[in-house]
Amino acid sequence: LGAQAVCQDAVVTQQLLQEGFHRELLLQVELGATREDLGRCTVAARTRLPPGIYVDPYELASLQRHNFTKALVIPDAVDVEAPEYLASDLVVLLYMTPDPRCSGCFTATLPVHGRYHRPAENNGTALVALKSPEILICCCDNHLSTECWKPSDVEAACLGRSSHPCQWYSVKHKPVSEELIMQIPVGLRQHRFLVCVTTLLATVLCSSMILAAACRYGH
Amino acid sequence: PRAVSTRGNAEALVALLVLATLYYTEGSSVARAAACYGLAVHVKIYPLTYALPIALHLQGRQHGHGAALAMGHHGKARSPLLGFLWQLLTNRDVLLFGAVAGSVLGSLTFAFYYLYGWEFLEHAYLYHLTRRDTRHNFSPYFYMLYLTAESRWSFALGLAAFLPQLLLLVVVSVVFYRDLAFCCFLHTAIFVSFNKVCTSQYFVWYLCLLPLIIPNLRMSWRRGALLLSLWFLGQGLWLAPGYFLEFKGYNTFLLIWLAGLLFLSINTFVLVQIISHYQREAQVVEKNKQR
Repeated sequence: LGAQAVCQDAVVTQQLLQEGFHRELLLQVELGATREDLGRCTVAARTRLPPGIYVDPYELASLQRHNFTKALVIPDAVDVEAPEYLASDLVVLLYMTPDPRCSGCFTATLPVHGRYHRPAENNGTALVALKSPEILICCCDNHLSTECWKPSDVEAACLGRSSHPCQWYSVKHKPVSEELIMQIPVGLRQHRFLVCVTTLLATVLCSSMILAAACRYGH
Repeated sequence: PRAVSTRGNAEALVALLVLATLYYTEGSSVARAAACYGLAVHVKIYPLTYALPIALHLQGRQHGHGAALAMGHHGKARSPLLGFLWQLLTNRDVLLFGAVAGSVLGSLTFAFYYLYGWEFLEHAYLYHLTRRDTRHNFSPYFYMLYLTAESRWSFALGLAAFLPQLLLLVVVSVVFYRDLAFCCFLHTAIFVSFNKVCTSQYFVWYLCLLPLIIPNLRMSWRRGALLLSLWFLGQGLWLAPGYFLEFKGYNTFLLIWLAGLLFLSINTFVLVQIISHYQREAQVVEKNKQR
């Protein structure tokens, strides 16, 4: 790596697969270095999820057991039922696996879920923006030059190794061209009056019918 | 795993315990029934609603059915209702049931608190008090509660949703307590259908009692099949827009709401049909005797 005069920026792309409330975040990164340079380093992506999106720790644990995905969630207790306005940000450290597409390519997928948002006045869709992730590398055997890689403090272990004498580095990369937007349907506040009145009328009517039947056919 | 059991899928266990409670109550083993009941309430909270029908049933058995309600009128009771409640609460069987169930439930709660600490209390009981889940579900109130979640009417509307449920449960207990299985079936079916949150998992709670009442349903197979199909149709009509909302991202909230109201109407229709076609042999004999 010392022979290189210019550091190559990594290229990061992120995509949201599927539709609706349950999605898969696909992260693909192309590092400037080749796989040989990296040796047995671990590549991970650190992404901050806004309150509008969450990951299910039980789902992640299950995927981890089957060796599909490995991720750390901070904080590790997630309220999966909370609406967006009662939830907080989550930081996810997602370990990436080598991508056969090219030598320095890595990829990972993370199942994410949308939370319920406040009902809107007119527009039936809420937007959640996902910022570009931070790419991190953890190396234990070889230490990377600090020209292209900035040492970083990460509260996590390298895959399968203790954190000492491993060192985490953060990768400088071109910012992702656009923020990823997830669209979430929301209720419309303009329906409020109609919905309340009709619902209460319906429930009063139905309960009256059952009451009448009970009094008529009971003892 | 323990969180799942207190909040999720131990349905078969609860069904077994509820059935055991009913079996022992009908068979006059009050203490065993109470023990099963305490255990059932520990596993899932909903059997708590059976307390009133069971108490009425136990009391009615001792004093004779016709006299149960008339008891309140004798003596110098300031009000017939208070007098009746006093009779109910001082009945020997009722007291025994309450004491055994209370101690079973109390000791289980204490034991689990000792084993798991505050987390147990939080997940098993407190969670239900502070839970705010307005995501789409079968309940007719879902959209109303979602739209008003943060408004100043939220508490009043929550109460307005609770009152019909409460009134129906009390009336059904008083009217049908003599036939405990039927009363409990109606209890849970009404509780689930008029609840603020309703998911498929709750249907098991009353379906497990259906085999007990089917022998006494004087209904043609065709009518029964029609009611069953209507019930499934109601669910299907809700599940379709629900699928498009959750898995395709379409804004189908209004359709889901309307499907919820329709499902409530179908449930009401089915319950009214069941009530009007239910006849116990004993009732027919009683009616004949009274003539």
